[in-house]
Amino acid sequence: MKPFRLSRRALLRGAGGVAIALPWLEVMGVPKPARAQPMAAQRFVSVYTPGGTVLEKWRPTGSETAPVLSPILVPLEPIKNKLLVLDGLDLKSAVGEQHQAGIIALLTGTIQTSANRNYAAGPSIDQLIASRFMKPRKSLEMAVRWATGKAHGLLSPMNCVNFENAAGFKPIPPRLDPVQIWNDLFKVGGSSTDMDAAARLERKKSVLDFLDKRYAALSQRLGAEDRAKLEQHLTKIRDIERALEETAMPTARCQPPMLVDTSDYNPLTGLNSTDDGSARDTSTDAAIPKVGKLMMDMLVMALACDMTAVGTFQWSDTEAKHTFPWLGLKEHHHFYQHDGGFKPVECEKIYTWYSQMHLYLLQAMDAVDMGGHSLLDESVVFFGTELQEPPSHQKANMPLLLAGGGGGLRAGRWLKYDHLSHNNLLVSLLNLFGDTRTMLGKPEHCTGPLSNLT
Amino acid sequence: MATGPNGPNTQGGPPGTTPGKTPGGDATDQPTSACQGVEDTVGRSPLRRLTRFEYNNTVRDLVGDTSSPAKAFPSEEIGNGFGNDADAQNVSGLLAEQFSTVAQAIAERATAAEVIAKLDACATNLVADREEACARTIVTKLATRAYRRPLVSGEADALVGLYTAARTKAPFAVSLSTAIEALLQTPDFLYRVELGAPDAAKPERLRPSGPEMATRLAYLFWGSPPDAVLDAAAASGELLTNAGVRKQAERLLADPKARPVIRFFFDNLLPISSLSQLERDAMLYPTFNASIGGYLREETQRLLEYEIFEGSGTWPGALTAPYTFMNAPLAAFYGMSGVTGMDFTKVPVDTTRRLGVLTQAGVMAGSTPSNQTNPVLRGSFVAQKLMCRPLALPTDPNILAKVKPPDPYSGKTARDRYGAHSKDPVCAACHQFMDPIGLTFENYDAVGAYRTQENGVTIDASGSLPGTDTQVPNAVELARLIAASEDTQNCFALQWINYAYGRTLGDDQPADACLKEQVARTFRESGENVRQLLLNLTQTDAFLYLPSHAEGMP
Repeated sequence: MKPFRLSRRALLRGAGGVAIALPWLEVMGVPKPARAQPMAAQRFVSVYTPGGTVLEKWRPTGSETAPVLSPILVPLEPIKNKLLVLDGLDLKSAVGEQHQAGIIALLTGTIQTSANRNYAAGPSIDQLIASRFMKPRKSLEMAVRWATGKAHGLLSPMNCVNFENAAGFKPIPPRLDPVQIWNDLFKVGGSSTDMDAAARLERKKSVLDFLDKRYAALSQRLGAEDRAKLEQHLTKIRDIERALEETAMPTARCQPPMLVDTSDYNPLTGLNSTDDGSARDTSTDAAIPKVGKLMMDMLVMALACDMTAVGTFQWSDTEAKHTFPWLGLKEHHHFYQHDGGFKPVECEKIYTWYSQMHLYLLQAMDAVDMGGHSLLDESVVFFGTELQEPPSHQKANMPLLLAGGGGGLRAGRWLKYDHLSHNNLLVSLLNLFGDTRTMLGKPEHCTGPLSNLT
Repeated sequence: MATGPNGPNTQGGPPGTTPGKTPGGDATDQPTSACQGVEDTVGRSPLRRLTRFEYNNTVRDLVGDTSSPAKAFPSEEIGNGFGNDADAQNVSGLLAEQFSTVAQAIAERATAAEVIAKLDACATNLVADREEACARTIVTKLATRAYRRPLVSGEADALVGLYTAARTKAPFAVSLSTAIEALLQTPDFLYRVELGAPDAAKPERLRPSGPEMATRLAYLFWGSPPDAVLDAAAASGELLTNAGVRKQAERLLADPKARPVIRFFFDNLLPISSLSQLERDAMLYPTFNASIGGYLREETQRLLEYEIFEGSGTWPGALTAPYTFMNAPLAAFYGMSGVTGMDFTKVPVDTTRRLGVLTQAGVMAGSTPSNQTNPVLRGSFVAQKLMCRPLALPTDPNILAKVKPPDPYSGKTARDRYGAHSKDPVCAACHQFMDPIGLTFENYDAVGAYRTQENGVTIDASGSLPGTDTQVPNAVELARLIAASEDTQNCFALQWINYAYGRTLGDDQPADACLKEQVARTFRESGENVRQLLLNLTQTDAFLYLPSHAEGMP
C-alpha cells in the first residue's frame, strides 16, 4: 500500500480555511527533497487526440530507463526525461460504440450507458481531482476544431471527455472560442484599488446574491427532477460567487499570453459540419496549429496564475472530420483512419504532428518557474486517445503518455504492462493527487493501481 | 434506448429486433394499442431551458437585441437531433459564466445613451426625483415580458432593489442595467417554468396556466415569446380550453413567423443545412460551387414549404412531388432550360429521373462523403432519420476482428465496391438494412447530378426497401415505397413530437408509447397532413396538461 499523502489544499483546509487565499509558495515554497515523501501533484492536465496511432511507428525500443523513441514520438525527444511512455494498457472499460466508448472511458473508466443518454456511468477523474482543490475555477476545458462530422457542432458522446462529478454525470462542453477564453481569463478590468472596478464587483455580487435566492426559492416549488436542474444551476452560480472572492493574485510568472489574430478561425464551424465531413472550412482548418498553440498558452498561464488546477485540451473529437492543410493532407482525419480505407502514412504524419504539439505544451509548462521547480514538475500531464488501431477500432495496447513530476511520478521511462486495464492507471493518477482509493469502475475493469509509476 | 432515432450514436440491438417494431411491420397493424391500460396519458414534462435559437429570438423581442448573443453559450447537447432535449440540458460552469457575461452585455447595449429611451419614454430627459419611478416602470415592464407572466408581489421590488443599491455609486443607466442583467439570468427567464393550475372541469388534473400555455404555443410555432394576442388570450382564460388552444395554434401556424421554425426542423432532419460549405473537387464537379450548394438547400426548403402550405399538405406528397423550385443558376446546374432570373419558380421534374425531396440534388449531395458516393451512408440516413429504424454500429469484438472496411477505390461502381456487404454474411447481417436503399441512389453522383454510368460502366440502381418484398429498378420507385411506408409516417410524427416537446421519446414509458401511437394515428387519419400534425400536437394530453408531480411538492 502507498503511504497516505496529504494534499496541499487538504493541509490548508486543515489549517482553518483562511489560509486558502495565500499564494501557495509562501506555504510550500521549499523544493521537495529526494523522493522519500513526495508532495501530492498540484496540477492535472489531460490532452485528447483522435483516432489512435500506428503502433509499430509509436512503440519505443530500448529499455525502460533508456527508451529510444520511435518516429511518432521522436518529436518529444527534447523533453524525454520528463516523459513517461505507457505501453500495454487496454481500454477495457470502453464498452459501447467503437469511438464513443473510447473517448467516454478515457478519463472515466466507465462503459457507455444508455441510462445516461449514451454518456459515461461515472465522473471523469479530472473532475474528481478538481474537487480536491479550491481554485477560482474548478477546471478549464478547451477544444480546437471540435464537434466535426455527425456531431454538427453539438455536444455528443462523440466528442465529450469530461463528466460532472454529480449524479447523472452530465457531459461538460469545452470552451471553443479563443478570443472569448482570453477575455474571460486574462482581460483585466482594473486593479482592486480602482474604485470603479470595486463598484462593478459589488454590483456583480449583488446580482449573484439575488439569483442565489431566486433559484433556491423557485426550485422548492418544482418536482424532484426539475428541482435538481435548478439546484445544479444554483451550484454553478455559487461557483461564480466563490470565484469572485478568490481572484488570483498577479505574480511575476503570471503573464497573459499574447492574443494572436485568430480572425481566420471560426470556433463554431462545427455547426456547419456534415455527417461525412464533406463540408469544409479550409480557413479554419489552416488556423488549427495557431489556435491550438494559443489555447495551450492560455491553459498553461491559467495554471501558472493559479486560476485553476485542472485543465483538459482536446484536439478535435472522435469524428475528426477536418483537414490538415499545413501537412498537405486534403482529406479529413477520419478518412485516413478508415472512411477512405486505412492510410498508415497519412495517419503517421498526423500523429507525429500531435507529438510536436504536445512538445509545445510540455515545454511551455516546463518554462514556468514555480519557485525552484517548473510548472511541469508539479503537474501530471496525461495524453490519450479513444482507440489504438484506426482500421479495426481495437483498444488493446493503447498509446498513452504521462509527463511531469507531480506526486513523485518518475518520468524519463518506458513502462510496459501486460494488458492491464487503463482503469488501473486512472486509479494511480488519482493517487498521485492524494486520493487514496484503490479501485475505479467495475471490478472486471480494474485490479488496483499500477506499479512502478513513482 | 435513451437515444432517439436521430442519434448517430444509436446503440440498440440489431435492426429489426427492436421490441414492438420490425422492418416488416408495415403490412400488419399492431393488434394491441399502446394506450391500453395506460392511466397517466400526460407523461413527463421536464423543465425546458431556452435553446440558443430561442434565447436569441427572445432577447430580440424583449429589448431589440439582434446580435444573436447566444452563440457565445457552450454547445448544446445533440440529444434528439434538434438540440432541444430538456433531459439532456446541462448547466456547466461555462454556461453559467456565459449567461452572466452575455446578460451583462445585453443589458449594457439596451441601456446605452442612444437607445435607453426605447425601453420607456420616461428615460428621456430624466430628472433626479423621477429616476427611481422610471427604473421601476422599465424593470416591471421588462420582467413581465421576460418572465412571460404577470409579476407577483415583491418581484419588481427585488429588481428595483438591485437598481437602488447600484445607484449609490453608479449612474442611472449603469444601475438600471444591473437590474436587467439580473433578470436575464433568473430561472423565470431562462427556463420555461410551469407550475400549472387545476383544471376547472377536473380539478384533480393540472393544466398549464394561461401564460404558461401561451409560452408553450409561442415557442412551439415561433421559437419566440408570446405576442400581445397570445397574452390577451392567456388573460381571458381562452387558453384553458382545448378549443381555445387550437384556435391560437391555427393563428400561429398561419403566421409567417412559423416558417423559420419549420425550416429549422427540416434543416436538422435532412442533410441540407451545410450545402454551401460542401467541398467537392472542382475538376470532377466543375458545375458545383458554394452558391449552388446554397440554392440546393433553398430548393428543398421551397418545395417543403410549398407542399406543406399550398400543395397537398402531406409528407408523402413532399416525398413524391413531381415538381421542384429553381432559379436560373440552379436550372443550369440541373441542365434544365426555360428558367430565368434569380427568383425561384415552380417547375416540373422529369419523373423518370427524380421524384420528391429525397432525389433532389441537395439531399443526395449532402448525404455523400467527399467526391465518391457512399450507398451505406445514404441508406442509413433514410433508414434511421426518415424511418426511425435504428442501426447499431458493430461493437462485438469478434465481429470487429473480422471486419476490414473495403477499399473504396477497388471497383468501377459502388455496387462492386460495396459487394462484400452482401456476400459476407457477417457484413450482410446489418448492411441488408441500408445498402439496398442506398444503391438505388447511385444514379445521382456526389453533387446529386443525374448519371447513368460510372467509370464507363452502366449503373444498376436496383434495390429494395428492407422489410418489403418489392424490388425496385431505381430511386424514383423507391421514393414511392418510402412514401407509402407506415414506418416513414410514424417516424415523421415521432420526429415532430421530439422536436415540439423537447423530448426523446422512448418505448420504456407507457405514456410515451401511447402518445407516439396517438399522434401517429391522427397523422394517418388526416391523410398525413403536416399542418394537421402540428396542430394536433397541441391537442394531446401531454400538451394540454401537466404531470401532477406530487412527490416533488414541499
